[in-house]
Amino acid sequence: MVQIVRLFGEYLGQYFKTKLSYRANFLSELIGNLVFEFINMIFILVVFRHVATMKDWTRDEIIFIYGFFQVPYALFAMFFNFWDFNERYIIRGEMDRILTRPVNNLAQVCLESVAPDRIFSLLTGLLIMGYAAFQLKLSFAWYDLPVFLILVISSALIYAGVYTAIAAISFFSDSRTGIAPMIWNIQNYGRYPVNVYNKAIQILLTWILPFAFVGVYPAAYFLRRETWYFYTMLTPVMGIVFFCIGLTVWKMGVRKYSGAGS
Amino acid sequence: MIEVKSLVKEFRIHQTRPGLGGAIRDLFRREYKTVKAVDHVTFSVEEGEMFALIGENGAGKSTTIKMMTGILTPTGGEIIINGYVPYQEREKYVRSIGVVFGQRSQLWWDLSPLESFRLLKSIYKVEEAAANAWLDRLIEELDIGSFVNQPVRKLSLGQRMRCEVAAALIHKPKLLFLDEPTVGLDVLVKQKIRDFLRNLNETEKTTILLTTHDVTDIEALCKRVLVMDKGKLIFDGKLAELKEKWGSGTEILFQFRARTTPDQLRAALGDLPCELIRENEYAIRVKIQRSQEMLPYVLSTVMSTFEVSDVKMSEASTEDIVRNIYSTDSEVAAHE
Amino acid sequence: MSKLYAELIRIRFLTMLAYRVNYYSGIIIYNINIGAYYFLWGAIYGGQPQLGGLSPEQMTAYVAISWMSRAFYFNNIDQEIAQDVREGKVAIEMIRPYNYLSVKAAQALGEGMFRLFFFAIPGILLVSLFIPFHFPTSLQTWGLYLTSLLLAFVINTEINLLTGVLTFFLFRNEGIMWAKRVMVDLLSGVTLPISFFPGWAQALLAFLPFQAINYYPSMIFAGAAGADKAAQVLLLQALWIFVLLVPIALLWRQAKQKLVVQGG
Repeated sequence: MVQIVRLFGEYLGQYFKTKLSYRANFLSELIGNLVFEFINMIFILVVFRHVATMKDWTRDEIIFIYGFFQVPYALFAMFFNFWDFNERYIIRGEMDRILTRPVNNLAQVCLESVAPDRIFSLLTGLLIMGYAAFQLKLSFAWYDLPVFLILVISSALIYAGVYTAIAAISFFSDSRTGIAPMIWNIQNYGRYPVNVYNKAIQILLTWILPFAFVGVYPAAYFLRRETWYFYTMLTPVMGIVFFCIGLTVWKMGVRKYSGAGS
Repeated sequence: MIEVKSLVKEFRIHQTRPGLGGAIRDLFRREYKTVKAVDHVTFSVEEGEMFALIGENGAGKSTTIKMMTGILTPTGGEIIINGYVPYQEREKYVRSIGVVFGQRSQLWWDLSPLESFRLLKSIYKVEEAAANAWLDRLIEELDIGSFVNQPVRKLSLGQRMRCEVAAALIHKPKLLFLDEPTVGLDVLVKQKIRDFLRNLNETEKTTILLTTHDVTDIEALCKRVLVMDKGKLIFDGKLAELKEKWGSGTEILFQFRARTTPDQLRAALGDLPCELIRENEYAIRVKIQRSQEMLPYVLSTVMSTFEVSDVKMSEASTEDIVRNIYSTDSEVAAHE
Repeated sequence: MSKLYAELIRIRFLTMLAYRVNYYSGIIIYNINIGAYYFLWGAIYGGQPQLGGLSPEQMTAYVAISWMSRAFYFNNIDQEIAQDVREGKVAIEMIRPYNYLSVKAAQALGEGMFRLFFFAIPGILLVSLFIPFHFPTSLQTWGLYLTSLLLAFVINTEINLLTGVLTFFLFRNEGIMWAKRVMVDLLSGVTLPISFFPGWAQALLAFLPFQAINYYPSMIFAGAAGADKAAQVLLLQALWIFVLLVPIALLWRQAKQKLVVQGG
């Protein structure tokens, strides 16, 4: 573990050296992220031009949830970039190289694609949250900060678990792009309150692909919506459970890859 | 150091059905076929040996190497290398080996090799001072000092390959695997890498395993050769023995002063198993199988019986031998 | 020559079929996408009879059909072109006896047809089991919709070719391509019918090609555009197809020159 942390520092150094040689790309990714967030905000703003509330949520509450939703995702995306896992490690065979090195293989894959530039998404998320909190005149106690940190880390673990499991599917199937982009589509429904969806989708977003735990459930605590407090408290549990599931599927995948699993 | 006992690896291969209808049926149910990629392979290697594993594409070389490096788990059989079972204690085991995959890079594409070496030092947790001295030696002996600071993507294949070898040796492994290390390289670079490997083997007692298509690699480096065909190990021995077993023997071209027919020559040689080919009225080619025993007899008999103006001898090259092996049916070869 | 393109379309279609995990998950996720937006809009309407000129029923049809249309016109050929450029494959493509961009467009059509037949149609049938959903009854509406959809495909493909060819000049522009993708989804009306936008934004969008990609065909399908309006819409789409050809041709000529000079 200590070694992995030290390696993280080294990889981070390499990251900046690489990125500096591709400044144009760095900029283009940054623009891409900003446009994406801007457009999501537009959706909320345009819709609330026509209505006052969505179910029982006001515009600023929805904006607050959206802002919160950004933060754990950015944290997760800093360390886990599995979008081209199949292409890079399975099809081009880089997994072989990973397996001939004496560091945990999942840690290696994560470290090889650290993306500290995600800090910008994290900051915009905080900014959006701050704006909404100001509009809603929310008040915070000192212990809200550690609660916030715990909730954000738990939500990030949910992402990590889900996407690790999905990346590990590449070990079992020859599918080219995998299903990650599609899960990503579902994830985006986590940024609206789950009670706008019907029962089946609520169950999906709570228990199967628990993306309600990366947005509305934890955010409800800061909006002082006591009806949702049970789910808020469940967030760390779900984080740990799903992260463990992700690790297990990954391990099974590596075993299958090395031909011991079938 | 390396113990491999009746190693087996089977793969299930998905069979695609032809056409649109087939593709749609494949969506729902797939057909599989089991293929034995490695079939009861047994061999052992001493520390400090340099040996080559050769065979056609699909003979099972890569699968064997992947099992020996811990990437693949065998279906059956045993492997013990450096005291480890590779696939069971992979993270500990891989510290004692170095791997160069000719087709895949160990180095970070956008960074200089030196940066990659630094990262690898952290990955293998090597002791700084000793590692630096060792790295300096690698850089000097592989002659990569002049470009080790340029990004990998700007290096030529030959330059990159030498850096790959250095990268695989950063942690001073006792065993080095080289999978097709010289594919596409020019003669000078090949020579440099071979000289380096030979020196490494002599000074550090590093065991080196080479898979290759290039016969000149084997001739330059390896005393011992393993030949695989259709998953089976069909030969394990010295290069000289390989030549004797599969070599098309020795050819002797006699140039006579007087007209000579093959019948006259046959009469002189008696029932010695050899082939006589008439080149022209004055020249006859004699082909014999086992050169060591028969060559002196043939030479002395012919020279003493006829008036010979010139003798040319030629031995089959290793390349011919390898071609010979591949064209022979493995079943026949195995039971010979 | 047309035989070549037919073959390209067929091959891409078969390639898509070969990846079955993608296929199964694709159908499920199309349903989830449509379903989630359906409920989101349900919550937004919250009993109101009309928003942005659409009744809740029309909105339901709009959401379902805009996703179905998207399944057909959507493709990633800009990213494929970018990859060919990065890996230097494009130099090889140049010496082949065909037009590289047309080949990419043909592949996109194969992919679109696959998604239409294997994602969208089963998807929409499945969705119609859970959501009250009316298909148009007149053959004329179907004909107009399908024509409009085909034109939409051409326009979207042209835009993708445009961003793809930009890689020749920018080398790495993944971020820009991604931004383009979400922009197209917003401005074409997948996420939000154009009639919801404020007046000034609608006026601005009228001068851009994006609503021709989704909003027009979807409105025809949802029955919100009559026959006269529909004819007008098809004409506008055709116009955009020709207008967009100009920047593609110009950029492509530049790109080829650049390739010759720099050798890829």
